[in-house]
Amino acid sequence: MMPPTTLARRAAPVLACIGLLALWQVAALALKNDSFPTAIEAIRAIPSILGDKEALINIIASLRRMAIGFGVAVFVSIPLGLMMGRSRAVAAFFNPLLMVIYPVPKAALMPIIMLWLGVGDITKTLVIFLGVSLPVIYHSFEGAKAVEEKMLWSGAAMGLSAAQRMVWIVLPASLPEILTGCRTGLVLALITMITSEMIARQSGAGNILFNALDMGQYDTVFAMIIIVGAMGIGLDALFERVRAKLVRWSEPQFDIPLSFS
Amino acid sequence: MTSRLSPINVILGLAPIALLIAVWQGLVSFGVAPATLLPPPGYVFGRLLQQLVTATFQQEIAATLVRLFAGFAIAVVLGVSIGIAAAASPAINAAVRPIVRVLAPLPKVALYPALLLLLGFGHGSKITLVTADALFPILLSTYYGASTVEQKLIWSAMAAGTPRYEILFKVVLPAAMPSILTGCRIGLVISCIVVFLAEMITSTDGLGHVLVTAARTFQAVDMFVPLITISLLGLILNGLLGAVRSYLLRGFPEA
Amino acid sequence: MAEPVATRKPASSIIEIEHVSQIFQTSARKDHQALSDISLTIEEGAFVSILGPSGCGKSTLLYIVGGFVSPTGGAAKMKGKTIAGPGPDRGPVFQEFALFPWKTVLGNVTYGPRQQGMSASEADAQSRALIEMVGLKGYESFYPKELSGGMKQRVALARTLAYHPEVLLMDEPFGALDAHTRTRLQNDLLNIWERDRKTVLFVTHSVDEAVFLSDKVVMMSKSPGRIRQVIDIDLPRPRRRNELLLDPRYQKYVVDIERMFDESDEVGSRS
Repeated sequence: MMPPTTLARRAAPVLACIGLLALWQVAALALKNDSFPTAIEAIRAIPSILGDKEALINIIASLRRMAIGFGVAVFVSIPLGLMMGRSRAVAAFFNPLLMVIYPVPKAALMPIIMLWLGVGDITKTLVIFLGVSLPVIYHSFEGAKAVEEKMLWSGAAMGLSAAQRMVWIVLPASLPEILTGCRTGLVLALITMITSEMIARQSGAGNILFNALDMGQYDTVFAMIIIVGAMGIGLDALFERVRAKLVRWSEPQFDIPLSFS
Repeated sequence: MTSRLSPINVILGLAPIALLIAVWQGLVSFGVAPATLLPPPGYVFGRLLQQLVTATFQQEIAATLVRLFAGFAIAVVLGVSIGIAAAASPAINAAVRPIVRVLAPLPKVALYPALLLLLGFGHGSKITLVTADALFPILLSTYYGASTVEQKLIWSAMAAGTPRYEILFKVVLPAAMPSILTGCRIGLVISCIVVFLAEMITSTDGLGHVLVTAARTFQAVDMFVPLITISLLGLILNGLLGAVRSYLLRGFPEA
Repeated sequence: MAEPVATRKPASSIIEIEHVSQIFQTSARKDHQALSDISLTIEEGAFVSILGPSGCGKSTLLYIVGGFVSPTGGAAKMKGKTIAGPGPDRGPVFQEFALFPWKTVLGNVTYGPRQQGMSASEADAQSRALIEMVGLKGYESFYPKELSGGMKQRVALARTLAYHPEVLLMDEPFGALDAHTRTRLQNDLLNIWERDRKTVLFVTHSVDEAVFLSDKVVMMSKSPGRIRQVIDIDLPRPRRRNELLLDPRYQKYVVDIERMFDESDEVGSRS
């Protein structure tokens, strides 16, 4: 049985969603603007997008690129971040480079990479990979840096080699922080995907958004926003479940992922 | 990602950047990549310096900076006040928390078409997008900082006769400052990124627009220039914020 | 088990704790009784220690007198008035120092007087004198992070003394310090206290510290927190540490109190 407080906590985000949609409805009715459909009109347009075979294939192709970009980025970034966190030299080597790359919008590299590699899957996946890498590296770095020195000493005393300490002590100890980075990275993957599609305007969810905008199908624009928003919230909720399972031992921490492009 | 600047660290840190430029030069010199696709670094940086002194390019930078600062400033004001309010009042917290939970993971850039429809193609829609993206990290870190202020600091101030409403400004806000500034730092980088992307997607001026124009005419050199400029802007702004931070937090350990 | 305490009631009582109990809700179902029916009277100008094992609620009792926590039963009164919240008549000194990290030593000490509406120049002069009194002359413009633990606690004491509270509430103030610093601060605290003999309520788990400093030691037992016994410490003042340690009366107080705690532990473990 669920205590009433837990129930209220679970229901709160749903209520917030409904509240925001209601707010939208009221605002749209009040503004009476042709280019601002009501929430209900937008929701009604969703089935026609999802029913359109081509649009659906497009969206699924987008998601596949996103999954590959995210997966490869996580696989590369975690070891790099952990090594940076445990070795001053490695950190000093990579930090300035990362600081220079940090404020560059990854999706903005799209036109240049397109110039080199064409508009194919590789270009789009590469951009997503770049977008996801930085937060995962950064959080793995912070996590590994904060690992208690004495814990490593205990490991060394038990006969673990440096590499073994990395795998059996540093990695699990920094897991909560790493997963925070992955969570930010996941939302970022989605954002980079959408943005790069908005810039390249070839296919995918971002393209559907702007094509509809150009053709004046405003309810499709807003319906697509709902779909993309739901993907963001859904992916995040899914990841949060996985995270909670993996780091059950850790102190509960307050983190809602920070999403940015 | 701050580390103390020792000479060895500086050399070590510059090495990969130098290496990157060397590889870049090498690719062009050995003819692996044609100069039309990958212009040599000397040419790109020369072009950057040449552009930086022209009035038109300066106007593009100014347009980008205006949007960036306006959006960031609104995000700071909103984020800090909502964050503090949510930490101070359980009622506000109960309302804000679920809304933030829903809106924070939402890809804000997807809202951009809607903002264009509602606010038009001018400054308004871009500034709003910057604010929407920079708001949440600032809000969340403010909330986190304000809700973890040590109880005994507040008690000490109360015992010294500070009225309840003044506690917020005299104790909670300064005590949460380290966390707030961390949020601002993230928010600032995000603002740089978002303003550039918004200008790329649709705009008639700004650095993002410069990149798109160059891309349309396949001018590889002119595509690198705005990218390097935004990176430099990010570094400069980050440095300025770091200076503000170390002044404001001079009393705090590990500031 | 707890005998009625402090029934003699001189005219000069300053704090009265009447049947105070405190229940904390630790989880959805479980309650934890931290304090059970505590009654205690503290006389003006007395140095009273509350002594007990960790978890006996002694700090909670202090927070109730401070007005930081309201009791779930009974009431604490200051000069006959029920305590409803914190006020500058009762100044806390915490084990964690709780200094404002964004203010200098001087800024921390002037905070209270400025809050009370004292002019900047007057607060400044008075605070400098206090900083000198606690032995930190020359450190006025330092930030707390630049000071050692003992120095921080001296600043915290000066910050509280600066707004002239009638009662000092000290919550294991020397608990986080090393043994050497601790004895030095005990001596200095006594010297400062001898000047105006403010009422002090001092929470500690150290038997020697309680006997050395106090006029009266309130012994508490745990789960639920009750007053076990109140012992008057009849030792001459001003006290000198080197003399007192050799004094058989001091030694007897320490040994007796320790024995009483040991006995209650044994009873506790058998039941």
